[in-house]
Amino acid sequence: MSCVVGIDLGSTTTKAVILDENREVLGRGITNSRSNYDLAAAVAKTEAFINARFGLIEQQLGTTKTVAMVSRLRRAFVMEQILQQLRRLEQLMIEETDRSAPAQLKAPLKTAIEEICKRITHEEEQRFKQPPMLRSDFFRDAAGSAFMRIAEQIAEPTGASFDRLVGIYDKCIIRVENEPLDLDFRDHIGDALRRVGNPEGLVEAVEYAVAKDLAPSYTVGTGYGRARLPFPKEQIRSEILCHGLGAHAMFPGTRTVLDIGGQDTKAIQVDQQGIVTNFQMNDRCAAGCGRYLGYIADEMNLGLHELGPLAEQSTRCVKINSTCTVFAGAELRERLGLGEKREDILAGLHRAIVIRAMSLLARSGGVDDEFTFTGGVAKNPAAVRAIRDLIKENYGERTLNISPDSIYTGALGAALFASRIAA
Amino acid sequence: MTCISAGIDVGSGAVKVAVMRSDRDGNETVIAKESARIRRREVAKVVDEVFEAATAAADQDEIHYIATTGEGSEFPQATGHFYGMTTHARGALYLAPAARAVLDVGALHTRAVAMDERGRVIDYKMTSQCASGSGQFLENIARYLGVSHDEIGALSIEATKPEKVSSICAVLAETDVINMVSRGITTQDILRGVHESMADRFVRLLRSLQFDGPAFVSGGLASDVGLLGALRDGLAKKAAAGTGTIEVVTHGDAIFAGAIGAALCGGFRYRKLGQASVAWDAAGAAVASPAAGVR
Repeated sequence: MSCVVGIDLGSTTTKAVILDENREVLGRGITNSRSNYDLAAAVAKTEAFINARFGLIEQQLGTTKTVAMVSRLRRAFVMEQILQQLRRLEQLMIEETDRSAPAQLKAPLKTAIEEICKRITHEEEQRFKQPPMLRSDFFRDAAGSAFMRIAEQIAEPTGASFDRLVGIYDKCIIRVENEPLDLDFRDHIGDALRRVGNPEGLVEAVEYAVAKDLAPSYTVGTGYGRARLPFPKEQIRSEILCHGLGAHAMFPGTRTVLDIGGQDTKAIQVDQQGIVTNFQMNDRCAAGCGRYLGYIADEMNLGLHELGPLAEQSTRCVKINSTCTVFAGAELRERLGLGEKREDILAGLHRAIVIRAMSLLARSGGVDDEFTFTGGVAKNPAAVRAIRDLIKENYGERTLNISPDSIYTGALGAALFASRIAA
Repeated sequence: MTCISAGIDVGSGAVKVAVMRSDRDGNETVIAKESARIRRREVAKVVDEVFEAATAAADQDEIHYIATTGEGSEFPQATGHFYGMTTHARGALYLAPAARAVLDVGALHTRAVAMDERGRVIDYKMTSQCASGSGQFLENIARYLGVSHDEIGALSIEATKPEKVSSICAVLAETDVINMVSRGITTQDILRGVHESMADRFVRLLRSLQFDGPAFVSGGLASDVGLLGALRDGLAKKAAAGTGTIEVVTHGDAIFAGAIGAALCGGFRYRKLGQASVAWDAAGAAVASPAAGVR
């Protein structure tokens, strides 16, 4: 089957979308961005093809009962990927300890590292047995939070210093992310299948999906890091164009698009064909971008996806005085110290980022019907609520479109450009 | 009359405590000093911990005056509070008597203070409400590079081709750094580039003040030889352009400048009050007293 690929290399995440000949989405993949851009793009693409092959399995089976079976297989697959990366991380951390730790600390540090990795492995296996819970898709987040938590518990008793453990982890997680590992469909689907007990019917469907030939005929890249993708110039489109087109494809009635990405915010006006007529962009300051919330999440030792739901529990929105992201982080700690509620401060922080976006929208020409909200922040319920309220206050009733796949808008636009060229 | 006083300096990144002995003849000695990073802990707890550690190390029967400075005005046992500007000037003068200016590089703010030979503040300038070029900014970048706090300086001075950080925003500069790594720029050159962009700001800050003598670098980054190097180079470049030179000095205890200054200010106020035989028993009375003429 011939297909085209769009890749959106963002500052925080890299996304890939695969379209078939009829411009229907075959698969979507996402990974966290890292200093090795080629690798980030390759991983996102691999993930998209894995997603496409799981789609094929579902298609092959096709009943509600098997959907649950496939999703279990999918989780087993993800766990195999995580365990493989964890084994590599452990190996690198042991090597790093041998290389750089003072002689008397080598043994306790290595004991601690082995114990931490053993416990993370165990936690992952337990997690698989329980009903699925929301968490970040990325190894860095899954491993990082578990590592810090366990390291804090066992650093003292084993005589390994917590700071040193964190230092070693920081060095090695970067290496794991920047070397190519075997994480493809074929590499782990066998193990995943065995883990779910080789159920009847599923094995055949997997064999079908493995054998299916998916050959991309054309790839277009976009996003903040597009200039560094290993593509010729004609295979690169600006993120503004891709977001406009992607949003138009998802919601053909779209006239205004707001994209709050990792490190920039874009307000885009498009016409009936999805062609950009005007836009405004902020990429000089993290306040008002997704990174703002990412920074706050780090400050609070929370996962990014936990912020919105927590802020939703607020009963009294606190007004945040700082504009700068780093200062807002300090203000947050100060307010927590003064006994203000976490959820109220978070509600204030969400409102602050949306207010920044509103001024960008105003400068780009306002908010027309229909309004489409894209980017990672559109997944955040508190940000969505804030934007709904503020648009109503300033522009009146507007249809607000948010796709569950809104994070892939740019990649979808890029894939559509690719299909136009391929056609 | 000998006075034992403690100074508690609560910054946005760390808590520093110094215990000092001072007498009327101007003999002043540090008898204990302790510090701890706040990280993501509750500030009040860190303050208690560090204060306890310092007073235990000082091993004195009585502490006559407990002075707070920085953001530490909430410490319940405190006798009085002094402005950060005042205490840094006083502490800098103690550590480097020739200094006539202080550049206090903190986690979030940087301020430059010009002072006279007695440590009185003449003028000051602070960075604005944006964390660009702050200590936190440098720490974030180092963390991304997998470099620990104390390795930063040594790596920076090994740089051969410093790479300027173009982004103004402290948070987005992290992305700039990722970009640099992906372009194959060495850790050394990146760190030096960050140091240079910080130094640029500090040079402007220092040169906006009038003072006659060396500038003393205090705060957590005073031990960062890379930053000091970049700052000296930045100032030398200006001097070469014929606009006067500024010498940069620091001290191994520079991170305690605020705490030492607070302890000294506290000790001075205590003796002053003793001389004037002002009856006082509560912190409020001491602070409100007109005899407390310490600047």
